[in-house]
Amino acid sequence: MKYLTDYANIFTRYDLNIEVARQAARKVSQDATLQKVADAVVQGEEEDAAKLTKEALQKKSPMDVINEGLIPGMNEVSRLWDEGVYFLPQVILASDAMNAGIALCEEKMGKAMDKKGKVVTHTAEGDIHDIGQVIVNALLNANGFDVINLGADVPVDKVVEACRLHNPVMVTGTALMTTTMTAFPKIASQLKRLGQNIPFVCGGGAVSEEYVTSFELGIWGKEANQAPGMAEDALSGDDWQAMRGKWNG
Amino acid sequence: MKLSSEMAYKSADEMMFGTAKKPVTTKRGIVLGGGHVVPEIVPHPRPGSEKTMKTLLREYERANGDALERCVIVGHPQLQIENEHIFQMTHNPKWGGEIAAQSAKQMDDYLQKYGLKASYRSTIADLRKPDMVNMRDSDYTREVIESFEECAKHADIISIESMGGKEVFDHAIIRNDIAGLLFGQAVLGGRDMEWMWTQIVAIAKKNNCIPGGDTNCAEANTAMFMAGGFLSKDVPHTMAALSRAICASRTLVAYECGATGPSKDCAYEDPIIKSVTGVPISCEGKTSACAHADLCGNVIAAVTDLWSNEAVEYHDMFGGSTTAVFSEILGYDVAAMNAAIDLGYQKEFQACLVNSDKYRGPHGFMLSPDNAWQIGKALVDNNASLYSRAKAAATKCGELMLGDPLLKLTVFEKESLQGYMKDMKALPDKESDFIDMCLKKYRTVKGFIPAAYGL
Repeated sequence: MKYLTDYANIFTRYDLNIEVARQAARKVSQDATLQKVADAVVQGEEEDAAKLTKEALQKKSPMDVINEGLIPGMNEVSRLWDEGVYFLPQVILASDAMNAGIALCEEKMGKAMDKKGKVVTHTAEGDIHDIGQVIVNALLNANGFDVINLGADVPVDKVVEACRLHNPVMVTGTALMTTTMTAFPKIASQLKRLGQNIPFVCGGGAVSEEYVTSFELGIWGKEANQAPGMAEDALSGDDWQAMRGKWNG
Repeated sequence: MKLSSEMAYKSADEMMFGTAKKPVTTKRGIVLGGGHVVPEIVPHPRPGSEKTMKTLLREYERANGDALERCVIVGHPQLQIENEHIFQMTHNPKWGGEIAAQSAKQMDDYLQKYGLKASYRSTIADLRKPDMVNMRDSDYTREVIESFEECAKHADIISIESMGGKEVFDHAIIRNDIAGLLFGQAVLGGRDMEWMWTQIVAIAKKNNCIPGGDTNCAEANTAMFMAGGFLSKDVPHTMAALSRAICASRTLVAYECGATGPSKDCAYEDPIIKSVTGVPISCEGKTSACAHADLCGNVIAAVTDLWSNEAVEYHDMFGGSTTAVFSEILGYDVAAMNAAIDLGYQKEFQACLVNSDKYRGPHGFMLSPDNAWQIGKALVDNNASLYSRAKAAATKCGELMLGDPLLKLTVFEKESLQGYMKDMKALPDKESDFIDMCLKKYRTVKGFIPAAYGL
């Protein structure tokens, strides 16, 4: 077969043009022990993070290890991702590492650390395509939210009941199929009827902005990585209309 | 089950669109892989139409009927229609069966009235999500099997997009974990397919129906879509390409159990499958932009026997309904390919398709016929186990990507690939050792039940 040697007239590799220069993570702690903990998070090394957290807990309080090692490390990961240096797997691995460290700190405290607020997440009834939800869960968790994960193929009533029980700052719904996203307006309607005007972020696959913004409470989530920012808005008191105005349209 | 030990094609040069070594004939006389390419349209119902069987029957009557009618209007001689089940069609097996019966009747009418040859593929929804149900023993499992029984009575072809290993795959793909892909896709997915396809083939034979094929849509396509285009930062394209090579090990299992093709359209691994099996394949590329974007819009057509659009929701466009419009587009694409064949220009046409995308990205590169054939050869030369052939395929794919200077990789993509190659090299040679390692490593993955895979 005849092959071209120059493809300039056939396609443009924009990814090569926009590649972000590699950069090292910044130092986030003045304390050498806690910096090592943060480094383990930045590198996504779960076993190292656990080992170094245990060592740090010999000298530091659990909250110091969390607030000056584990969380600053994760914040640095978020920065590297925002700047296009890190890819998603590096963020997930860092989140795993942070969680391993936090679990040890919580064990020592004898209680769970305070989270920013609760978010209920689910994938629509009849839909088992939940990898988007898995990513949303990981990112929310990494950003300090308490994720109430209902899983996939979740009936409408179960989502509504979870919202009633947990009173989350935000609820999310994921669907790949247009024929399963029809559960979303039913959930929104029931939440409205119960007076629970919780921002309801819906996204995934064929879920469109037009559809989600056709019912009250609905905010369209284009990408999973928007979830932490949206949850921060909800936490700060933005209602669904304000959020829709900011993120959609 | 005997794993494939030889190639259907002696070289990539032998592989051509429209012709398969083992053609398949449908009920109304279409010979798939018999010398010409056939369009395959995949309508998807509108939200709300799934409420009752009656509303869904009406939706498919219109969607499938519009496609058939447009073929007559513009003169396309053949059409395959695939209905990929939505949840409700498999959850209520009678629904899928009724829709298949209705579609077959429509096709009979079009054949009688106009001479249009059409065939119908029912693709059952695999409702079994490994972390939610036992893959071999659940209500959903029984519904899937019952749906095959119902649809095989009327359809030309039955297929599925099976879900085996998805729990481990989902855990691994977002953690840069190549061992997890090998375990989830090849070891678990392959075992689940053997269990499932033995039954599917028996049902098809009993009903004089064609056992089509499977696809790793749930996993390798997830990787490909997460890798996305040139702006995405979710998964490296090189990892998605390795995932594709790995999945060929499990997709082959359908044919090793007796499936005859046509393969599933969204199985982008199909060029590899064709090189090994010689069955007719269905592919999708630029015409599936209605459903998703990919970086191999033309090259994926280079050796295909059916040309599909993946899925288009039924609604109106300026030019008519979507199913009518896409049937017209697919039919004209196919007409150009078939004209090239009849003029003796197929090699030249194939070269245009390949050169369009071979170096656009890792997926187009590895699915270019020359590379797909080499990956297939690695599979058959290392057929001691599902694992060994998957690892060999991924290793070959990685070597090809690193060895061709025309395939440009970002620094991140290249370093990621070098890391995966190193990781694969460090893995055990024997499948039993690999399984032992993975049973420990993934024991805490949510919902992973080794026994559901016979482990």
